[in-house]
Amino acid sequence: MTVPALEVTGLHRFFGGLPAVCDVSMRVPAGERRLLLGPNGAGKTTLFNLVAGDFPPSRGEIRIFGENVTRKTADQRTHLGMARTYQIITLFAKNTLLHNVVMSLMGLLRLRFNPLSDIRRQKTLWDEARATLALVGLEHLADRTVADTSYGEKRRLEIAMALAQKPKLLLLDEPLAGLSADERRDIQRLLQTIPREVTIIMIEHDMDVALAFADVITVMQRGQIVVEGNRADVVADPKTREVYLGH
Amino acid sequence: MISTSRPQIVLGLVAIAALLAMPWLVTSDYYVNIATQIVIAAILAMSLNVLVGFGGMVSLGHASYLGVAAYLTVYLTAHAGFGPLAGALAAIAATTILAMLFGYLALRASGLGFLMITLALGQILWGIAYRWASLTGGDNGLGGAVRPHPLGVDLMNPTAFFYFALIFLAAAMWLISRFIQSGLGQSLQGARDQPRRMRALGYNVWLIQWLSFVFAGFWGAIAGMLYAYYNQFVSPQTLHLTTSAETLLMVIAGGTGTLFGPIVGAALVVILKNVVSAYITRWLMLLGIIFVTIVMFMPEGLVPGTRRLRGIVRKRRGSPTTPALPVTEERPT
Repeated sequence: MTVPALEVTGLHRFFGGLPAVCDVSMRVPAGERRLLLGPNGAGKTTLFNLVAGDFPPSRGEIRIFGENVTRKTADQRTHLGMARTYQIITLFAKNTLLHNVVMSLMGLLRLRFNPLSDIRRQKTLWDEARATLALVGLEHLADRTVADTSYGEKRRLEIAMALAQKPKLLLLDEPLAGLSADERRDIQRLLQTIPREVTIIMIEHDMDVALAFADVITVMQRGQIVVEGNRADVVADPKTREVYLGH
Repeated sequence: MISTSRPQIVLGLVAIAALLAMPWLVTSDYYVNIATQIVIAAILAMSLNVLVGFGGMVSLGHASYLGVAAYLTVYLTAHAGFGPLAGALAAIAATTILAMLFGYLALRASGLGFLMITLALGQILWGIAYRWASLTGGDNGLGGAVRPHPLGVDLMNPTAFFYFALIFLAAAMWLISRFIQSGLGQSLQGARDQPRRMRALGYNVWLIQWLSFVFAGFWGAIAGMLYAYYNQFVSPQTLHLTTSAETLLMVIAGGTGTLFGPIVGAALVVILKNVVSAYITRWLMLLGIIFVTIVMFMPEGLVPGTRRLRGIVRKRRGSPTTPALPVTEERPT
C-alpha cells in the first residue's frame, strides 16, 4: 500500500469552548484531487490551517507522506513538499510580482539565511521566477507591483507562488472566490495543467467547478465530515442536500 | 527593494566628501568632536533601524549593547590588563553573545510584548550598572580607558579619532546595505510584512528575526566600543532608557527602513543636544517641537519625507524627465 499524501486521524481543534474541527479523520492518496465542501463555518479552512501548521490541533495526528508532522512548524511542513494558498489573499503588496515569486522560491533555499549575498544577482532565481509567472500567464506583469494588479491576477500570483515551490501536496483555499467568469475559466484551466503527481486538496463553494475537478469529495458540517466519496455518491447522498439546502 | 538612483549616488558622494572634509571645514576641535558623536550615534541608530525599519521590531532596549560594550571596553582595557585591540574584540564578542541571549528572550513575544521585554532587559542592565558599584563604579561610572594607537596613529587627536570612527560608519553602511539586499535581509523584511505567509513559504521566521537581532546587537556593540574610546569613561546613563528612546527617536525622525534616515536622525538629535543646548536652555522642548513637526508633516521621516516633497514639487512644476518615485520604492518588501 502506498503512503498517502495526507492522513489525519481524530483531529480536534477547539477555540475556547467552540469545536471548530471535531474528530476529523481523512486519508488522501498521493496524486488525488480532493475537494472539501461545506457551508461557511463548517471548519474547512480551520482544517487547512491545522494541516499547514498555522496552529496546533487540540487533539489528533497529522501525517504528510507518512511523516508525523503534528508537532512540526509550518515552515518544516513546507520543506516536506507542502504548499498552500490563502482564502484571504496574502501577498507582499509593495513588491513586484516577480519579487513575490522570488520570495517563494527562496523559502526552500539556504540563501534565505545568507546575510551578504545580494539576491538581485541570483540570476537563475529570477529566471525561474519569471518562468513560473509565465506558467500562470502573468509574465507580462512581472515588474508591476502587486498593489497595482487586479484581484484575479493576485489570485493567479498566489497559485504561482505555491507552484514555484514544486509541491507534492498543494492546498488551495477557495482559489476561485471573487473571480469573474472569465477569470474562473482561466484558473480552472491552470489547475488542469498541474501535473498529476501533485496531490491537490481544494476548498471551493462553486459546485459545478468543484465537481468537475475532484476525484473524491469530502463534505463537512459543524467541524465534522458528514459525507465522503466520489462525485456520484456525494451528489446522490441526501446528507449533501441537507447540508446545502437545509432539507 | 531599495534601489540606488543617480541622485542618491550623487547625494551619497557629496555626503562622503563632506564627512571627509569635515575637519578642514570646521576649525574647532569642538565641532570635530560633535561630528564624531554623530558618527557613533549614527552607527547605533543604523543598527536599531535593522530591527525597527527592516524587521518591524520596535525595541526600547538598544542602549544595552552600547552600554555593555562600552563598560566592557573600559573595564577590560583599564582594569583587567587587556590590550586595546583584545579588549575591544572581547567587548564586542561578549556583547554580541548578550544580544543572542536577549534576542532569545525578547523574540518570545512580538509587538508590544517584544517592546516591553527589551525595555525590561535594558532596565535590568541599567540597574546592575547603577547598583553594582564595586564593579561598575555605580553612579560615578567607570573611567581610565586610553584611546589606542592603531598603526602608530594617535587617536587622542580629535581629527584622527573622527576618521577612525568614520571607518566604522563606512563599514556599517556597506555591510548593512548588503544585509538589506541579502537573502537574510529580504527574509527579515518579508517576515515584517507577512509573517504567516513567510512561514508557509518555508521560512523559519523566529530564526530569521533572531539572526537579525544578533546582527543589530553586533553593530550596537561596535558603537559602544567607539563610545568607550571616545569618552574614555562610561556611566549608567549609557544604559538608561532615555538613551534607547533617543536612539529610537533618531531612527523615526530620519526615516525607518531607509539607509540614510538614521544618519540624518542621529545628526539632528546630536546637534540639538550639544550645539543648540549651548544657546537655548529649553532645548528638550525644542527637540519635542521638532519631533512633533516631523511626525505631522513627514510621518515617514525626514529622508523619505523630503523625497516625497521633492516629488510633489517636481510634479507641480510638470517636470517630464524625472517623475516622482513612489515612497514604496525605498521601502523594501
